[in-house]
Parts: sequence; structure tokens; C-alpha cells
Amino acid sequence: MPVSLPDGLIVVAKADCPTCRLVEPLLAELAGAGPLTVYVQDSADYAASLPGTLYDQTLEHSYRLGIEFVPTLIRVRDGQEVERTYGWHRDDWRALSGVATLGEGLPLMRPGCGSKTLEPGIAERLELAFGDLRLQSREIDVGDAEDAIEACYERGWSDGLPVVPPTPVRVLRMLKGTSRAPDEVVGLMPPDLVPCTVEKVAVNAVMAGCKPEYMPVLLAALEASLTDAFGLHGLICTTMFGSPLIIVNGPVARAIGMNSGVNALGQGNRANATIGRALQLIIRNVGGGRPGEIDRATLGNPGKYSFCFAEAEDSEWLPLAQERGIEAGRSAVTLFPGEGVQGIVDQKSRDPESLARSFALSLRTVDHAKLALAGDAVLVVSPEHARVFIEAGWSKQRLREELERLLLAPGAELVAGAGGIAEGIPAQFREMQIPKFRPGGLLIVRAGGSAGLFSAIIAGWAASGAVGSSPVTREVLT
Amino acid sequence: MHDIADLESRRIPGVGVASSEFVDAAALQARALGFDPAMVFVPHPIQDRTDDEMRALAEAALPEILRLLRAGGGDGN
Amino acid sequence: MNGHILLDPTAELAPAQRPRLARPASLQGKVVGLLDISKPRGNVFLDQIEAQLAAMGIEVKRYSKPTFTRIAPTPLKQQIAAEVDLLVEGLAD
Repeated sequence: MPVSLPDGLIVVAKADCPTCRLVEPLLAELAGAGPLTVYVQDSADYAASLPGTLYDQTLEHSYRLGIEFVPTLIRVRDGQEVERTYGWHRDDWRALSGVATLGEGLPLMRPGCGSKTLEPGIAERLELAFGDLRLQSREIDVGDAEDAIEACYERGWSDGLPVVPPTPVRVLRMLKGTSRAPDEVVGLMPPDLVPCTVEKVAVNAVMAGCKPEYMPVLLAALEASLTDAFGLHGLICTTMFGSPLIIVNGPVARAIGMNSGVNALGQGNRANATIGRALQLIIRNVGGGRPGEIDRATLGNPGKYSFCFAEAEDSEWLPLAQERGIEAGRSAVTLFPGEGVQGIVDQKSRDPESLARSFALSLRTVDHAKLALAGDAVLVVSPEHARVFIEAGWSKQRLREELERLLLAPGAELVAGAGGIAEGIPAQFREMQIPKFRPGGLLIVRAGGSAGLFSAIIAGWAASGAVGSSPVTREVLT
Repeated sequence: MHDIADLESRRIPGVGVASSEFVDAAALQARALGFDPAMVFVPHPIQDRTDDEMRALAEAALPEILRLLRAGGGDGN
Repeated sequence: MNGHILLDPTAELAPAQRPRLARPASLQGKVVGLLDISKPRGNVFLDQIEAQLAAMGIEVKRYSKPTFTRIAPTPLKQQIAAEVDLLVEGLAD
């Protein structure tokens, strides 16, 4: 503590602690032997007759002294603490105070009580009031008569669903989920291109309903989304459907209780729901990306509330993050400009060739059956479907190669006007074999419940690569 | 003032008229609402005015009401 | 500690207050609603406002709240939003 303490002895006590009451008569003796300061945490009615007694109502002194138990006895020399003891231990108190006969008629030892500064809720308020942490965000006083949830709606902070009001205590708790400094700038948030600090992430994470332990995943997702390759600015402004999808790999998914199984792409799991939502709220509130303003999506998609899930890694297939260069055993997020979910029902294919053909036929329709090299796609293979491939010895890569082969189409079928459909690829490609996806444009993940011969396609924004967005994988740190 | 705030969120610009006794309360309410409605204050008292006096108050208040209903006045610019 | 302080989640480019809606350049052709909060004498005031607006050729619609002690009922607000372009509410004292 840089602050200079009063020399002599300090006693910190609570009036309603029996051990503090036990030693109360001794304080006059201590006061007689040298300077004595008494901080009382809960009342003016303790050691009131002594000149050095102070009712520490705000608990500022107790907080700064780091009091954990009462009574605590501290010796101070030259403004610095030299020694302390807590509870009542007659020998310790005699040695520390230098009063050899102190507490003669008292028992040798009595345990103390917990300090008021550590009571639930109080510790955080004290940290906000007296601690080193300085929150920078503007304070908004919503007034006594106002419902705080309605106030958040009225200020335009919501995505349509109620948000958790971001009180300073909640934000403080959220910030404890990361070791990064609150004032650290994560990046410039589009579309307004304003600096987004870790603190602003925490405020929006509170609103989304996140737990503090989700912060590392959220921060990694935000960083990935802010890379040039991901092209978040364009994705927000597009009239098309897409918005950031977060796929989580590695031990962190299990550690924070994410869902990679039944209903993996749906609702019901707090981590899935709130991490995805927090990113959307940051885009809205920090970046200024709101529908009807910069966000002019014609239709959008429900994933713009939240779209985040974990890959089911309990199989021989390589997890997505490892395919993309992350070491085994590390956690990572992959950001993808996702547009929605299209189901593939195939309950009859028992061999990998047939099932791959089912997948390929469905994948043709990403964006439009006659378009190619527009959007990327994520193929979500359910465990039952994945088993068909795994039992035949097909890795993800083997499946991908098969799909790429199956997804080659004659240009003549795809050109604008072919089949009586004006949409299509330019005429110059008529004589070529055209791949549906650009190299690396098809991502494969395994997720879902263990029952169900259904897989899914998450199409990507039809501007893939340098013209728009590429998937970005980023390791989750703290 | 709550009503004005609500109707503005329904895309209807509004102006509130209140007695001058309300000036401080209106400022507090605006802070709580996160919204500062356009307000015209007429001289207190209200209750014991004659009809003619009320009509005179209305005539005096009209120019400010009109100003706040039009662009450049009421939108706070 | 004030339980009603929230931390601003935005980039704080805008003032903490929501801005007022843009107003029309002119009131000609607009419908102005007059909402009486139903305190005594307010109707006399609003009658005069109505007369003056009518003299300017502006269409006026009149409404009143059931009581000044509560915010306007939702059906009334919906009706007002559907029928007018601008609103004047009074007279609070």
C-alpha cells in the first residue's frame, strides 16, 4: 500500500463479532501503551470512548488494509505495516502489542469472524469504489422509476430480445473472466470504425447474458472477426444474408459447457447462445451496425441473433481448427460468414459414395444452383452420417476431395440463360468444368445428436475471398 | 413526457406543454428517460386562471409550440 | 451504490440521450394531434391551440387520456400514431 498508515497499533473489528467484543475491554489498555487506531466496520457502538476509534462505514480503510478477518491487529512503524495477526491469540497479541500482561483473564485463543469487506456483493462494490480498476464507459443513470430492461430497449441497445442491464458490478465480474486490461483496444469496430476495448466487450457480454468464463472465447472471436481477411465491414453492409458464425474447437468448449450435440445449431445452451449474441451486440452497439441503417440486408437470417456452436470432436475426424493449423489440444474459434441452415435428409445411403453424392447434390444449391465460386460453405455432418464415412475409412479430407470432384459441373449448364434461367455464370466459361467452390471454400465439421441421418449446409456470403470474406481461425487465449 | 417519448418511438414528433413549475422535474425526467422531449413552459399558476386568461396563455405559447413542431426548432439542432 | 447506473455499451459517439425525431419543414398538409392529459382547465388551453391551428389551415385531431396519473393507454397511443403526423400534449401543472 503506497498510502502511509498511522503509526502504532491498528485494530479492525466488527461490533457484532463475539471475539471482537471479547477483546474490546483490552483496547483501552492498548491505547494507554501507545497510539491506537480502531476501525469498526459495522457500528459506531464499539470502543466508542477511545479517541482513536473510527466507524469505517464506507469500508474504505478495511478494503485498503486487505482485512479478511476480524479482529485484526496490525503494528505500524514509519507508516508501514510490519506485522499483523487476526482472531484472538493471546501470545500473538502480547508479542505484537508489547503489552506483556494483555488479556490476562481471557481464554488463550478465540477464532475471529469474516471481515465485512468480503461479504457477497460488497467486495465488488468496494473494488469499484476504492480499487485500482477504473471503468471508462460513460455512466447512464436510468433513474429510480425506470425498469432497467426497458431502459436498455429505449436506448436502442437491444437486438429485439431483452438484454441484461450492464451495471458496473456485472461488468466488473465479467472483466474478471479475462486477464486482459479493460482499456486494451481489441481492434477498430466496423462499420463506424471505432476502437473497441476489452471493457466494451465486457459491457456487451453482460447484456448478452455471458458468464465471465466465456470472455476468452468471445475475445478470440472478436479478434478473428476484425481481421482484414474476414471482411466484417462488408459483411455488415451487405444486402445479402450473412453474419458471423462462430465455430469453437478444443478443450475450452467442454470446459465452458458448450453444446456440440443434440440441437447443436439451435437454442438452449447458454454458452452457444450468449457468445454468439455478444458478438452481434458488439457489432450493433460499438460498431453501429444496425438493421435499417448500415445493415441493409434484404432478409437477413435468424443467426443474426446468435450463431455459435462447438464441433463434436469425439471421433477420428480431425477437428476443423486442427485442419486449419491449430495444434492439437489447443482451443480456437473459426469465424465464417454464415447465412442460415439448410437441411440434408438422407436416411437411405449406407455407403460413403452414395452419401457423398447426396451431399454434393444439396451443396450445388448454395447461393443458386447455377452459380459457382461465389460463396463458401460449411457442411455440418451429423454423427450418424459421419459414421458412414469414418467406418469406410474416409477422413474429412477424403470426403472433401470426393465432394469437390462431384461438384464439378459443365459450364454449359451453368451459364446465364442456360435452362431458361437468366441467372448463371458468364458465357466465357461455357466450355469448362466449373468447381462449385473455390479451393478451400468448403469447410466440414461434425456436430449434432447421435440419432438422425440428417446433415446440414451453412452457406457463406456469396462474396468469398478477397472480394468479401474468408473464414478466419484464431486461437483462444486468456 | 413518457407519452411524448413513446410516440416519438412510434415516429410521431411531439411537444409537451407544462406549467413553469415543471421545469426542474422535466429535466430530471429527461435524464431518467434518456430522452429530452421538446417542451413549452407556460407561466404558473394554471388552476385558478379564468377562461380568458387560459386562452391568452395559449396564444402566447403558440409561436414556441409551432417552432418546436417544425424542422430547425424541435429537432434540437 | 446506485443500482440504476448502467455502463454505456456503445462507442459513445452519440449523446447519452436519444435524439428527437426530425420535424417537417412546414406544417401545411400535416395533421396535428392534441392530447389532453385531462387535468382541469387544460381543455380550455387546447381549445384555443386548436382554434389557432385551424385558422392557419392545419388539420387538428383531439384526444384525451383517461387520467393524468398514468401514461396514455397503448390503444390510444396506437390510434394517435396511426392518425396524426405531429403531437402536442398538455397541460401539465
